[in-house]
Amino acid sequence: MATLNFMVGQEQGNVSVTVLRVEGDIDAATHKSLQDKAAEVIEAGSTHILLDLGGVNYMGSAGFRAIHAISNMLNDGDTPGTMKSTHLKLLNPTDAVARVIKTLGFDVYLDVYQDRAEAINSF
Amino acid sequence: METTLTSTETRVETLRKCEFLQGLKDSILRDLAARAEILHVNCGEKIVTRGEDGSTMYFIISGGARVHHGEVVLASIGSGDVFGEMAVLDSEKRSASVTTDSDTLLLSIERDMFYESLSTDPDSFKAVIHGVLQRGRGIIREVKTRSTKLMAYEKEMEIGRRIQAGFLPDSLPVIENWELASSFVAAREVAGDFYDVFKLNNLPHLAIVIGDVCDKGVGAALFMTLFRSLIRASSLYSNMCSGLVDSQTASASITADEVLKNSLLTTNRYIATTHAGSSMFASVFFGLLDTESGDLHYINAGHEPPIIFRQNGETELLDITGGVIGLFPPAQYAVEAASLKKGDLIFAYTDGVNEAKNLNGEQFGESRIMKTKDLQDSSADNFLSDILEAVHEFRGEAEQSDDITMLALKYLAQTSTA
Repeated sequence: MATLNFMVGQEQGNVSVTVLRVEGDIDAATHKSLQDKAAEVIEAGSTHILLDLGGVNYMGSAGFRAIHAISNMLNDGDTPGTMKSTHLKLLNPTDAVARVIKTLGFDVYLDVYQDRAEAINSF
Repeated sequence: METTLTSTETRVETLRKCEFLQGLKDSILRDLAARAEILHVNCGEKIVTRGEDGSTMYFIISGGARVHHGEVVLASIGSGDVFGEMAVLDSEKRSASVTTDSDTLLLSIERDMFYESLSTDPDSFKAVIHGVLQRGRGIIREVKTRSTKLMAYEKEMEIGRRIQAGFLPDSLPVIENWELASSFVAAREVAGDFYDVFKLNNLPHLAIVIGDVCDKGVGAALFMTLFRSLIRASSLYSNMCSGLVDSQTASASITADEVLKNSLLTTNRYIATTHAGSSMFASVFFGLLDTESGDLHYINAGHEPPIIFRQNGETELLDITGGVIGLFPPAQYAVEAASLKKGDLIFAYTDGVNEAKNLNGEQFGESRIMKTKDLQDSSADNFLSDILEAVHEFRGEAEQSDDITMLALKYLAQTSTA
């Protein structure tokens, strides 16, 4: 069965940011493991997550649903005055994934960065 | 696997539990038990591999295992169950794999040893054949029960499909100087495409909606009915209650923008808050067309950009003006405008068209849609038929994996005489 591999790192910017790197295809079979991993780091105290999608070649709608669920877990409700999540951001999506993010307009809801340092300091 | 010693009585009792050995005399069972080997298998070990030759059958004394095809588990078995007997009896390849789910104690008997034991008593063959047939009849009964249940389930799914189809318009409005056409080809698996075309009350606008709910299955179908109904109700509601209906001074464009925004903001906020835990979303194109002037105001919430095919051969994409709806309560959507001239055609579709795959895994793509156009001769109906035919031809023998939903509206070059 297809599986996802995760690497978790902690970086200090304006706030402490958990960088969660995902490798593999995020689809109907694997999205739950991404959600579970995020729940695990949030349970362990993470309040800001940078999701590194550099190792993801395919992300279907199940992947976007998982990202929304993670955003919900982090925010505990709306951040007043902003449409974008201030707790979850995306890093370095591959071309294929970036294209779907753009088509679905997910970049309207989540900031997408190419540069890791810039992303960490944006929180 | 480790060989272990176990008492003869335990061995005999284990064999006696096996359905197809139950007619054997005690002396034969004892002979088999004495010849059998006891194996201790650790949890997670694969004992039998599908497709391989096999001459050993196994009887579980204690522990448990799963019978599987790859990741698909066919059965869970435990103490008193037998496996591997089919390949022993008919000399065919192993029909499934078996992997232990806990530390397991097994009795194993080789084919030659089995027949040697039986050969001392001709009646024992009859008993085994009888036992195997009984087992076969049991399997047939089980298959019949399952297939009856499956047929009932498929009937329910068919009813669900028909109810879902009832949420799509029976017919399209007839509009002077316009040709309207729609096409919906459902995939075998239930999906969540929808479209809607309706007139707003007392406004010169025609509402055009096309959407696609994420994922597939019953969940997508249920949310499709919710998205479609909320959009229709909220756009009619905002039109009736905003006060703009009675305002002779309000310009049509402002009215259209407010209807569009109010409808999608309401729908988004309702689903994103009431059903936040489900993380279900839809891409939606919602346009309001002034059929007198050809002016189109629209919101594209994360949907494949509809295409305007101009009479002069040019094309224009109606790109996204916001993200998908149903996820984030504070979402905002911008309204954009386009203008259709006589002879132009607007084509809206779902990803069942551009993401249709052939057997090589290639996608139909937007570029092929562009190449399919033949505006000068095509009616809106023919235009959709041409695209559908091109998609079918491209897909070849590959299965249709998603709903195909298309809408075409053509602004007639010649004023109709109706």
